[in-house]
Amino acid sequence: MNKPENRIDKIVSDLLHGRRLRLRGGDAEEKAAITAAAQLAAARQGPQRMNPAFRKRLEQALESAPKEPWMTRRAALVAGFGLAATAVAGGLVGRALEPAAIGQARVAGGPIDPIGGKWVDVAALSDLVEGRGKRVTAGGVGAFLFRRGDTVTAVTSICTHLPCELWWNGGAGSLDCTCHPASFTPDGKSTDPTYPLPTLNSVHVRVTAAGRVEVLGTA
Amino acid sequence: MTADRPSEEPAAGSAEAGDVLQLPMAPRATDIALDELELVYAFIYARVGNRADAEDLTQQVALKAIPRLREGAPASAIRGYLFATARSVLGGFWSRRLGLSEAELHEDLALAVPQPPPSQERADTVQGILAELSDNYRRVLELRFLHGYSLKEVAAEMNSTVGAVKVMQLRALRAAAKVKVYP
Repeated sequence: MNKPENRIDKIVSDLLHGRRLRLRGGDAEEKAAITAAAQLAAARQGPQRMNPAFRKRLEQALESAPKEPWMTRRAALVAGFGLAATAVAGGLVGRALEPAAIGQARVAGGPIDPIGGKWVDVAALSDLVEGRGKRVTAGGVGAFLFRRGDTVTAVTSICTHLPCELWWNGGAGSLDCTCHPASFTPDGKSTDPTYPLPTLNSVHVRVTAAGRVEVLGTA
Repeated sequence: MTADRPSEEPAAGSAEAGDVLQLPMAPRATDIALDELELVYAFIYARVGNRADAEDLTQQVALKAIPRLREGAPASAIRGYLFATARSVLGGFWSRRLGLSEAELHEDLALAVPQPPPSQERADTVQGILAELSDNYRRVLELRFLHGYSLKEVAAEMNSTVGAVKVMQLRALRAAAKVKVYP
C-alpha cells in the first residue's frame, strides 16, 4: 500500500467519493499529482455553489461577529463562527464556544486534571521513538506522548478548534486535525501564526523506575 | 420651527416638498459579502476538489475578511482582497497537508484572480489539460474522473489490469500537473 500509485489511488478514490483530502507523510513527493487529482475531481463535479445550509451559517457568522475593531481573530471565531458551529455540532462545541467566552480568547494549554484521576500504564519508555508522537488512551483521556531522552511529555489528542481527534503527521512532525486544516507542534502550540488556535492542553505523564510510562487518566 | 413629522410613513408617490423620501435600500453588506464568497468558494473548490475542505477554507477566508467586509466597500473593491486571502489560506492548507513550506508550494498555487463566471472557464481549462496528454493518459483520466469509472472498469475498458491502470493513473496525473492550468 506504500507504493506511490496505491497512495495516489487512495486519494483519488477519496476525492471521487466526495471525501476530504487526507494526506500522509511521503505524499509531498507526489504533490503535483495530488493537486492535479483535486482539480480534476472538482471538474467532474461541475460548477459549484455553496450548499444553502453552509451559506446560511456563513451569513449568521458574518452578522453576529463582534463589531469591536480590537477584537482578536480568535475571539471573532469564538463569537461568530462559534455560534454557527454550535447550531450544527451540538452541545460539546457549545460548551467550548459559550457566550461567556465572547470578547476574550479562550485560555487553554493547562494540564488536564481528571476528577478522581488515576495513573494508567500506557507504554514502555522503550516503545517511544524520539521525534515521533505516540497516541495512547488512559481511560477517558486521550493523549500523544513525545519522548526526549529519558523524559516524556504529553498533550491531549483533541483539537482545540472542534472536538476532533488529532493524528500524528510524521512527514510534517505535527499533530494535525482530522476535521479542519489545523495543526500543532508536539508541545501543543498552533502552527499557523495567522490563524492561531489555543494551545493543546497538556496531560500529566510520568516515567516509573521500571521504565514504564504512565498517564494521569481515568479508571 | 417646523411641526413634528407625523409618525406614519408617507404613501409611495405622495411625497411633497420638504418630505424625506425613503430611497430603495442598498444591498446589505452581508449579501454583497456572501455573493463574493460564492466566487471564493468556487475558486477554492476547483482546487481542493471536495466540499468539506472547500467549506472550511471559505469559512477561514470569511473570518479573516470580516473587518474589511465591514467597511462597506463595493464588491469590486473587496474581491481582490478576498482572493488574496483565499490564495493565502489555500497555501496554508496545502503546506500543512503535505508538510511543506509555502515557498515550496508557491509555483503550484493558483495566482490569478478569476473573473466571474468561473465555472465555464474551469471546464474549458480541464479540457485543455486533457487535450495536451497522450491518448492513454487522457483516456484513463477521462474514465476515472469525468465518468467516475472504478479501476476495474477502467482496466476492462482499456484491456489492461488494475495494477497497470493504477500506475498509468499516477503517471497521467503527473503529466497533467505539468500542463499549465491557470491562465
